Amino acid sequence: MPNEIYVMTTRYLILQDGTVYEGEAFGAPATTFGELVFNTAMTGYQEIITNPIYYNQIIMFTTPTIGAAGINHYADEAIVPAVKGVVVREIAEISTNRIRALSLNDYLKRHNIPGISQIDTRALTRHLRETGVQKASIVDQPDDHAFDQLRAMVLTNQQIAQISTPKAYANPGRGANVVVLDFGLKSGILRMLSDFDANVTVLPFSATFDEVANLDPDGLVISSGPGDPAQVPETALDLIREFETRVPLFGIGLGHELFAIANGAKVSELTSAHHGMNHPIREQITKDIMFATQGQAYYVDAKSIKDTPLFVTHIDITDNQIQGLRHRDYPAFSVQFFPDAAPGPLEETQAFAEFMEMVMARRGGGTI
Amino acid sequence: MAKEIVDAMAMQRALTRITYEIIEKNKGVTNLAIVGIKTRGVFIGQRIADRLQQLEGATIPVIPLDITHYRDDDAERAGEKSSFNVDIDNKRIILVDDVLFTGRTIRAALDAIMDNGRPAAVNLAVLVDRGHRELPIRADFVGKNIPTATSEKIRVNMKEFDGQDGIEIR
Repeated sequence: MPNEIYVMTTRYLILQDGTVYEGEAFGAPATTFGELVFNTAMTGYQEIITNPIYYNQIIMFTTPTIGAAGINHYADEAIVPAVKGVVVREIAEISTNRIRALSLNDYLKRHNIPGISQIDTRALTRHLRETGVQKASIVDQPDDHAFDQLRAMVLTNQQIAQISTPKAYANPGRGANVVVLDFGLKSGILRMLSDFDANVTVLPFSATFDEVANLDPDGLVISSGPGDPAQVPETALDLIREFETRVPLFGIGLGHELFAIANGAKVSELTSAHHGMNHPIREQITKDIMFATQGQAYYVDAKSIKDTPLFVTHIDITDNQIQGLRHRDYPAFSVQFFPDAAPGPLEETQAFAEFMEMVMARRGGGTI
Repeated sequence: MAKEIVDAMAMQRALTRITYEIIEKNKGVTNLAIVGIKTRGVFIGQRIADRLQQLEGATIPVIPLDITHYRDDDAERAGEKSSFNVDIDNKRIILVDDVLFTGRTIRAALDAIMDNGRPAAVNLAVLVDRGHRELPIRADFVGKNIPTATSEKIRVNMKEFDGQDGIEIR
């Protein structure tokens, strides 16, 4: 039975507004900086920790105990996690699962990522909801020096350039030819496309028109990714405008925001980011409600849709915000939520089925 | 033995996709009218109209069409006419049926439509295209292409009529 002996080490989580939380160290003993975000998902901590959208961020889980299923080799959303730290109420000292390979504690150590437990994560979540996004640090001592370092820290706005693949690579299949533009791609997207036996080529976010066109894609996926869509170079928007008229196009997360901007809509930052997996989403065309995983810090402004060739296909019924868009004239659509269900309710994977059906319909093929 | 080849969810998705494609192709929903071929074509047409209503807030008329009198294999009843209660002159018609097979039903439906007016255009939407055409007819919107043998039967089940959604081959 995998049982670990913890040596209690006191460490501190400090926020840029001066808030100090005392907790117990786990994972790596490194000092870390990042933007503190909270995630309300009850399961799927491995997929969340490894999701590249958390580049330069420290994740806090509101679910009280994290780590009970350990870490396996099937739920990684990236080869190397991009997250800067993990904050929990309690780290499970024993982890058991039939596919478990190692403990969360060992996994974080392996990747030199610090964690901190015994934090009142619910109080801290309320605090974050009031104050908005804050820089935070996990440190040995909450002294002036630590705060100076924290306040002096500047987080890059070049996350995508740093996390996107530098070179094209293949994820071969025997079906439709799909090109994925990598803005911080999570593996779940590739897993879903593999389920449809798509012959996938992943290209860097900076790919040129010719680099995409030379692959004769049957469909184009604009991946999710970290950061502010306004920081994405204009060339990527041009690429969306060029290809939405040519092949079925599917934008996810950041890709959804870029699809909106490329077609003239406006994107703004949320006061409190949505990170969770129980968000009720209404599909406008059927009025069906489904539950979906969200990881969004930005949103498409509903008022800005009017003068665009887009219409709204999905809405978050808790705040009436746009969760899906579609082009009026072309087979191009996007969703704000994570349709790869890694982690999350399987019903949201319908969006991939929809995309692949559009791709096959254009090919004159015979799948629904 | 019947085998379900499209489940309820995939069938819903196909109807949704057809609806989006209708908006794409017609650049909106103004001036549209749906003609549904009885029996299941009417239910499919109604579902497409419901979707257009939810999405665009537009009420699209759904005209049920009984093509019996227009069939080319029923000489006794030939000559009778079906009359619509909606004016279709200059309308963009979406003709809807569940399965496209020989094309003879569609040929009959086109005759019935033309007897009732002069639409600006007629597009054909079908949930299943099973091949084996005997006339030069093809669909503009297809839910699923299902290659079949002539000996096989395709059955579309609709919740409104059959109690559940799904497509079976037998």
